[in-house]
Amino acid sequence: MEIKVEGGGEFANASYTNVCNNVFRDVGLRSNIDWVYMYCNAAEHVFIISIKIGRAPSPVKVWDITLREGNKLRITKEEYAPKLLALLWDRYSGRVQQESRVIIRFELEEEEVAKLNELVVYDPKEDLTARMLDGIDRILPEGARVRYPIPSAQGKGITIIASENPISAEWKVKAKELVGRIASSGGGA
Amino acid sequence: MYKIMMFSGGVYKFNELQEIVEDIGGFILQSMVMQTETMMHLAFPAEEEPRIKAKVKELGGKLKDLPLGGAEIMVVVPSLGKHHAVYPMCDIAEFLRRNGAITDMMGLARGVGKRIAQMTVEEKAIINECDAAVFVFGDFKECIEEKVKLCEMIDVPYIIVGGPSASDVDLPHYVGGVGRRTSRMNRKEDIEKLNEMAMALADVLEEKRIELEEDPLSASPLFIKEMIEMILPPKVAEELPIVIHMDGLRVKVEAEDEEKIRDIEIGKRKLSEICEIKKSLYEGYLLEILPEAVAGEIF
Repeated sequence: MEIKVEGGGEFANASYTNVCNNVFRDVGLRSNIDWVYMYCNAAEHVFIISIKIGRAPSPVKVWDITLREGNKLRITKEEYAPKLLALLWDRYSGRVQQESRVIIRFELEEEEVAKLNELVVYDPKEDLTARMLDGIDRILPEGARVRYPIPSAQGKGITIIASENPISAEWKVKAKELVGRIASSGGGA
Repeated sequence: MYKIMMFSGGVYKFNELQEIVEDIGGFILQSMVMQTETMMHLAFPAEEEPRIKAKVKELGGKLKDLPLGGAEIMVVVPSLGKHHAVYPMCDIAEFLRRNGAITDMMGLARGVGKRIAQMTVEEKAIINECDAAVFVFGDFKECIEEKVKLCEMIDVPYIIVGGPSASDVDLPHYVGGVGRRTSRMNRKEDIEKLNEMAMALADVLEEKRIELEEDPLSASPLFIKEMIEMILPPKVAEELPIVIHMDGLRVKVEAEDEEKIRDIEIGKRKLSEICEIKKSLYEGYLLEILPEAVAGEIF
C-alpha cells in the first residue's frame, strides 16, 4: 500500500501517513489497497482522501482454516471459529458438534465432507465497502463532518471530500483533478 | 513550603521513614504496599530534604522528585471519539500521574473542528475547579491557532499540546511534536516529548506557587486533609477520597457529612471560616482555602 499525504505541513503529512497506515491495518485492508492519497487544507478546512482498491481478497473456505483428523476438524485460525460453527450448525445441525474450543466432531458421509471443505466461511468482499468507509471515517478529522463522495469510474475505489463547511463546486473540481493526477501517475508515493 | 517526593523501596523498616516524615511536620499523601514493595508520596518541609534522603539511603530505597505533586490536572481533548482517545490522551495523563499529579480527563461535547469548536459554560466551570489544564489538539497549525480561543476562556493555568513544532506555532505554553496518534507513546523520543510537556506544566504551576507564596493561605491543604481524615476516616477500598489542590481540596463525601466538614476545627477556627465550601460540579465538595490576609490567623 502506497500512501501520499500533501498540503498539511511537514509534521501533519508525516503524522497522517502514519495514521493511514495504522488505521488500514486495524480494519484489515492494508494488503488490499493499492494506494491512498490524502490532501489536507487546514486553512480552508477541506480534506480529500482517495483510495484505490487493488486485489480483492479471496473467500475463506473451510479447508483454509481447519485440519482434518479422522471424523474431526481442528480449527487452525480461531478468529473464524464463530462463523465456521454458525455455518456448520446451520447446514448440518446436530450432526456437527463442538468437542472442545478448537475441535469439531462430525458424523457425515465422505461425499458430504468433500462438499463441506469447499464451503465459504467468510467472503471479505461482503464487508469491504463498510470496512473501507470505516477506515476513512477514522482517518478524516472528526470536525470535518460534511462529506461529498466521488466514486471512481472503474468502481475500484472512492474519493471523499470532507469539511466543516459546505463543500463548494470549486473543491469538487479540484478533488477530481488531484485524484486524476495521482491515478495517472500510478499511485501514492 | 512543602517538597513532594516519591519513595519506592522494600517494606523493611519503611515505617521508620513514615515516623521521621511525621516528626518533621510532613505528611504521607499516598501509601501503597504491594507484597514486598512500597510506594509512598511524601510531603515535607523543603529544608528537611537531606534528612529524608539520608534515611532513604539507609533503607536502600529510591527517592524521586514529583514536580506536579499536590496538583489536580485536567486533560482536555476535543472529543472522546477514537480520533483523540485513547492515544495520546491516556499517555499524557499517565505521564502526568508518574510526575505526581492527580489527573482527570474531559472530552468536550462540541470541541471538534476549527470554526465550529466550542466549550460549554459547564465544561469551563469544571476545568476551573482543577489547578491546571492540558489541552490536547491535533496536527494542524491553523486549527490549533483557532482553537486557542477555547483555552483563553478558562481561568486556571494551561498548556497546549499539539503536532507542529513549537517554533512554527507562536503560542504561549505550547508543546509540539505530539499531535494525532494511533499507537502508544512508548518510544524513547516519545518519552522525551512527554517529559518536555510535564516540565512545561511544572513551569506553569510554579508561577501559581509563587503567587500563593506571596499571598499565603490561612492553612496548608495538607494540614486540612489530615484534620478531615481524623473526623471522617477514609472508607475501605475508597480511592483518593481527598484530592489535594494547590490552594484547596476536593473532598468526596456524602451530602449528610457536609455539616461535619464545616464544623471541623482547624486551630482556633472552624473550617467553614477559613474555606469557601461549595458543591463540586465534578465530584464531591470543593474547599477553596482563603488567604491568611482574608481569613486571619488560625492559631
